[in-house]
Amino acid sequence: MTATINIQFKGIAKRYRRRTILDGIDISLQASQCTLLCGANGAGKTTLLKIMAGLVKPDSGTLNTGLGEMKWRRCIKALKEKAMYMHQHPYMFDASVRRNIAYALPPMLSREDRDKRIYEALAWANLEPLATASATILSGGEVQRVALARAWLRSPSVLLLDEPTTNMDHDARLRTHNLLRQLKDQGMAIVISSHDALQFQSLACRQLLLKDGKISPVNKTTQAENVSAFPIGPIHQHQQA
Amino acid sequence: MDSLNNATFEALQLLASGDSGLWNIIGISFKVSTTAILIATPPSLLLAFLLAYGDFPGRRLLISVFSTLLSIPAVVVGLTLYLMLSRQGPLGDLKLLFTQSAMVIGQIVLCVPILVAMCHSALQAADRRAWETARTLGAGPVRAVLTVMHEVRFGLFAALLAAYGRIIAEVGASMMLGGNILNATRNIPTAIALETSKGEFSQGIALGIVLLILAFILNGLLHYFQGKGRFAT
Repeated sequence: MTATINIQFKGIAKRYRRRTILDGIDISLQASQCTLLCGANGAGKTTLLKIMAGLVKPDSGTLNTGLGEMKWRRCIKALKEKAMYMHQHPYMFDASVRRNIAYALPPMLSREDRDKRIYEALAWANLEPLATASATILSGGEVQRVALARAWLRSPSVLLLDEPTTNMDHDARLRTHNLLRQLKDQGMAIVISSHDALQFQSLACRQLLLKDGKISPVNKTTQAENVSAFPIGPIHQHQQA
Repeated sequence: MDSLNNATFEALQLLASGDSGLWNIIGISFKVSTTAILIATPPSLLLAFLLAYGDFPGRRLLISVFSTLLSIPAVVVGLTLYLMLSRQGPLGDLKLLFTQSAMVIGQIVLCVPILVAMCHSALQAADRRAWETARTLGAGPVRAVLTVMHEVRFGLFAALLAAYGRIIAEVGASMMLGGNILNATRNIPTAIALETSKGEFSQGIALGIVLLILAFILNGLLHYFQGKGRFAT
């Protein structure tokens, strides 16, 4: 697949009260590209992802969704259609897994098409045995799979994930990695925010560091510093093996 | 004690015999209060949502105003609306005073603060991720609002029941705006007040029993929904 630029963000700035969170961020996202966004707690990763999903309005910045550079207000609708944000702990509506997944479908879809696509999404995320279970009682890994199944069904151009494997065991992490790889191969531009750079190294095409409101590409030296800052978890040991 | 027993016995007999006058009063009560709640609910829900999720100047002031209006006496509402709807009042030309419409208006004014304040609390307590998830999954604003309301439906039902319980039992506004006219604006609370003043306790007790049964049903439903809400989260 030819990698074409989907979305370009320029000069994104955001202040909360008197604190500058983002200070003129430029970032472009391409199809089938996975970007790893690193940074310390409170660096502004979540704010940046929510801005990129159109959920939070920046104080300033422009956007190019393929129709030329435009002011935020003029292309927010197009951005919301293209991008999807997944919370660190994805929210499950008070309904069954099936209905949670169905929410990602357009409401006007015919019943047959609806059922067919829901079934496909359940099968894709290996959630068939849980289809009728309440989504509010699922484990962390299962919740993440339901959220990814919703993303698969909605198939946005850009998928923004906030710490997607927090508190997950090794198997759940592997499953999530596998599903993310499939979404990337389908052509989605993926942005993952994580403390743990090593965990997504095999998936990420590039790595960016958010620090003091500025974003910069991570070179090998910086990466080594990041690695030493975090203990190697089971997934790293598995990858190293 | 004997007179109380006798009056209660007569009240039960009145209810069981299907006394048309008595059931007419009960019918008016339910008709007026149900109309008021049906009219008041949609705008109150919308306002509560805007107060919970909106960001506009004066939002905090509005929240304080509605919280204050929770404790407004029904008689004060009745008096204010009476002055507005009476012939010399600004709305006198509408000729609504001493009609069921005037009672409905009074009850709307009484239940809106309860609905707004309680629905606002329920929506405020909702997980913010519900709104963001709905929007990021492609839902438009209307669908997202309905989704968030569905998530806190038990709290919203509780607000609805509390408001209904308040207006069906209020006497001040109904008496002043309806005038307690037989077969027209006489509802349960105004009839109880009248019958008691005449010394006709049996009808007053019969109507009181209906109100008590209603209060019991509403409270039962309230606890049921609150319980379901607690277990659902």
